[in-house]
Amino acid sequence: MTPRRFSFLLGASFIVALSVLGAIPAWTQDTVLKTQAFGTLTRPVALFDHDTHNEKAGLDDCAICHHVYRNGKLVAGESSEDKACSDCHTLQGQGRQPGLRVAYHTACAGCHTTKAKGPLACGQCHRR
Amino acid sequence: MERIYILVSGPLAWIAWSVLILGSIYRLWQVFSLAKQKEQVLFSYISLKYALRSIINWSIPWNTTNMRLHPIFTGVAFLFHIGFFVILIFLSAHVIMIEEGFGLSWPTIPDALADVMAFLVVGACIFFGVRRIVRPEVAFVTDWTDFALLGLVAAPFLTGILAYHQWGDPLLMTILHMLSAEILLISIPFTRLVHMLFAPFTRGYIGSEFGMVRHVKDW
Repeated sequence: MTPRRFSFLLGASFIVALSVLGAIPAWTQDTVLKTQAFGTLTRPVALFDHDTHNEKAGLDDCAICHHVYRNGKLVAGESSEDKACSDCHTLQGQGRQPGLRVAYHTACAGCHTTKAKGPLACGQCHRR
Repeated sequence: MERIYILVSGPLAWIAWSVLILGSIYRLWQVFSLAKQKEQVLFSYISLKYALRSIINWSIPWNTTNMRLHPIFTGVAFLFHIGFFVILIFLSAHVIMIEEGFGLSWPTIPDALADVMAFLVVGACIFFGVRRIVRPEVAFVTDWTDFALLGLVAAPFLTGILAYHQWGDPLLMTILHMLSAEILLISIPFTRLVHMLFAPFTRGYIGSEFGMVRHVKDW
């Protein structure tokens, strides 16, 4: 193997290894919200790291976000972390059930407003 | 800073819109009672037909002789007013806040278009400011309040651009954006921005007098 060829292979394998390592966090952590239901996005995806958020916010009860509503009423003691938000919240609201975007905004910004903590302005979550 | 955001996006917004609406009703009532006292003739010569004819003709760019005498100013003024109201009413971020606060929603314009229009509105304010300095006939009737009013109008658009592009801290820029817009809303009834309320009446009266009495066009 010529030194030239060797250095090419070394460089190439370095780049491959780096991109594999770099991709790992993306599929091992919940750092990005699921947005497939929206289709084309008009703003950058909201930043959300599930575990970091809950640790910082001191959240233990899953049902605070992953709630269950039946017949328009919040069901106490039940949670829905096995479902995606978009399983219930369709793009357009249905009756008193808010549409997907409104649901996300009221869940995130609504709580942040009540607690006066965490991001509130558009650009704080939808970072470019 | 979070508490300031909650203040400007909640209670201060309610106060600003209330002052705008109540202040506008007061100003209209005030000027109408003054007219009743001193200028009864205004009511005798007002005509809906000629008023609307004049308003429509003055709403079309370059349609009037005076507009054709000042073609660049006319173009900029139309772009400015159209941009102002289209962004105010149809910007997606505005409609989203209304939808989430009141449950009302309507179609929006693409962000890229709103972005271009916002730059044009700020550019128009700069144009108006420069015109007040370089045109002698305008400089003659200009004082510092004219520049203050232009700054007041440009501020929500400038801070809106900064917040949208996330130039600077987004929370701070959004707070400044909402605050400057609230100051603007409160100022409308009590400054020369009141032309927003009065212009249809002054135009309508001139149109009526020209159309009904002198039988000529006023454009």
